Amino acid sequence: MIQVKNFASAAEADACLAALGGYADPSGVNVLKGPATHEVAVGPVHAGVIEPGHFRFQCMGEDVYNLQIYLGYQHRGVEELIVQADGSLPRQVALAETCAGDSSIAAATAFAEIVESRDGLALAAEDVRVRTVLLELERIANHVGDLGALAGDVAFLPTASFCGRIRGEYLNMTAEICGNRFGRHAVVPGGERVKLTPEKAAKIASWIATVKKDLDGALRLMFESPSVCDRLEGTGVVPKDVAAELGLVGVARRASDEGRGDVLSRALVRRTEIEEAHAKILPLLDPAWKPVATPARPERPGADAPFCVLVATTAAWRGPLVHAALLARGKLRRYRIVDPSAHNWPGLAYALRGEQISNFPICNKSFNLSYCGTDR
Amino acid sequence: MLKALLARLKQGYRTGTFPPAPPNLPPDFRGRPELDAGITADEVAAMKKICPVADALAHDGACASLDLGRCTFCGRCAKVCPKVRFTREYRLGVFRREDLVVKAGAPAYVPPVQTDPAAKALKHTLQMREVSAGGCAGCELDANVLGTLAWDMGRFGIRFVASPRHADAIYLTGPVSENMQLALDKTYAAAPEPRFLICAGACAISGGLYKQGRLPAEPALFIPGCPPHPATTLEALLRFTGRQHESRALVPLR
Repeated sequence: MIQVKNFASAAEADACLAALGGYADPSGVNVLKGPATHEVAVGPVHAGVIEPGHFRFQCMGEDVYNLQIYLGYQHRGVEELIVQADGSLPRQVALAETCAGDSSIAAATAFAEIVESRDGLALAAEDVRVRTVLLELERIANHVGDLGALAGDVAFLPTASFCGRIRGEYLNMTAEICGNRFGRHAVVPGGERVKLTPEKAAKIASWIATVKKDLDGALRLMFESPSVCDRLEGTGVVPKDVAAELGLVGVARRASDEGRGDVLSRALVRRTEIEEAHAKILPLLDPAWKPVATPARPERPGADAPFCVLVATTAAWRGPLVHAALLARGKLRRYRIVDPSAHNWPGLAYALRGEQISNFPICNKSFNLSYCGTDR
Repeated sequence: MLKALLARLKQGYRTGTFPPAPPNLPPDFRGRPELDAGITADEVAAMKKICPVADALAHDGACASLDLGRCTFCGRCAKVCPKVRFTREYRLGVFRREDLVVKAGAPAYVPPVQTDPAAKALKHTLQMREVSAGGCAGCELDANVLGTLAWDMGRFGIRFVASPRHADAIYLTGPVSENMQLALDKTYAAAPEPRFLICAGACAISGGLYKQGRLPAEPALFIPGCPPHPATTLEALLRFTGRQHESRALVPLR
């Protein structure tokens, strides 16, 4: 989805980009002080194979009163580099894709939509189809991986093991379509870098049919185990009104709106989204697929305007991924990327309130936010 | 309990047969490229225009070359120049930086063999501490995947450990962002000697798309890719400890 707005001055356009929001460090906010308190500091290098971030658990006794999340370790200057690379689309797409590598397809799609709008490039229905399939495969792979990791974090090893393998199957489907497990270089502005031939589509469809059975079994086992549900239920609660006030988005927001906002509801939302994603792509993988409508050629809104802001929003697996470009008479002047994680870190901090530190892994995994996507 | 056993029965035995069987690579897999002799400077210039990375391609006046330490394996150069082909050679890990530079018209590629006794001493156990220093999570996720039952690198005695104190090697991903420099240096210093630095992915090797920070030591193993395929990584780790000729995988319990 793309939105366009023209501005008379650079200051107004900059203000529009700033209004997209972001993550602010919690330095000095809600600091717990007193002789009975203590603080546990973790990171930036964590025990697992994950990205760096620094957490400070401010505790009284066993209970966490406040969690401060310090980010910024991953800052590479992706936005500035995209502006500097103006004129080289392959480099810009690659930068967008590596802003947060687990959302490569969503990011490339958002970037492509901005370029297509800027240059008035029309997409073929086939391109929209390929992008949708890749985006949903990305969603499924990540949700499956996270549900497996969640099972692992509560020591429910069967589902942890099954999902670890099943996630790989979905990544391999992506690789089958475009040659790369993360869908890198598959989405290009203007479309057509990979094609979904009828043979390929049929192969993926039958592959999904087999894997989906294993996936259903693995998830049923987990969600029907009272010991697992007891561990997840009521842990890390973010109530609906708090979620709204914090401005949470995506999976976390949906879990608070539709459920109790605990780890279990975030897990169930992911299970629901896995179902929705399958329902979305299976018709597209029908070898007899025919486009229902030709995508419209976007207007070229930014071509002559003195200051024009293009905002592209993609339904990434964590939530809405926003890319925004400020064009001055068609020339890229500023670029902003707002990963859904940027909105959701305060939700994770809130979820830890009143919990014990030992509940951090499952709270964290239920959100699974992107460090590099936030740091950019 | 019965449900879990039943589910396990239905899921079946899933650890792959690689190695020693060849890995299952996708049809469009882009592995080590081949460059024909006689690629002109003009052709290199044309390819550089559509290459996402600066300085991956070069021409020294006599010979064209492609630096796998920078390459993202997007395959665009091969699309515009038929003299470049991406083969299905997935054994990309090397022990010297210069071995990552593919020269035009070079003889057939043979993966290097480990000669360092300190690395070969790790052939029954290789413990690695992963440090992501500006990595985009691509390399991290595809390193993590080696621990799943599909790849199960634990059967070779290879694993990621929680502390650098327990590590034989630091497995670095990412271009070393400024804010991770200190943490990386400290983590590397915390590993007991002899210790090795393994650079996985274009970012860790050369900065890739980004500006590279300072590496804490001379890397002992380079695993190129963006990100490297898990098969590439596992094969490189085995070869690093001198195990390429062995097939010490446990006999699958089918």
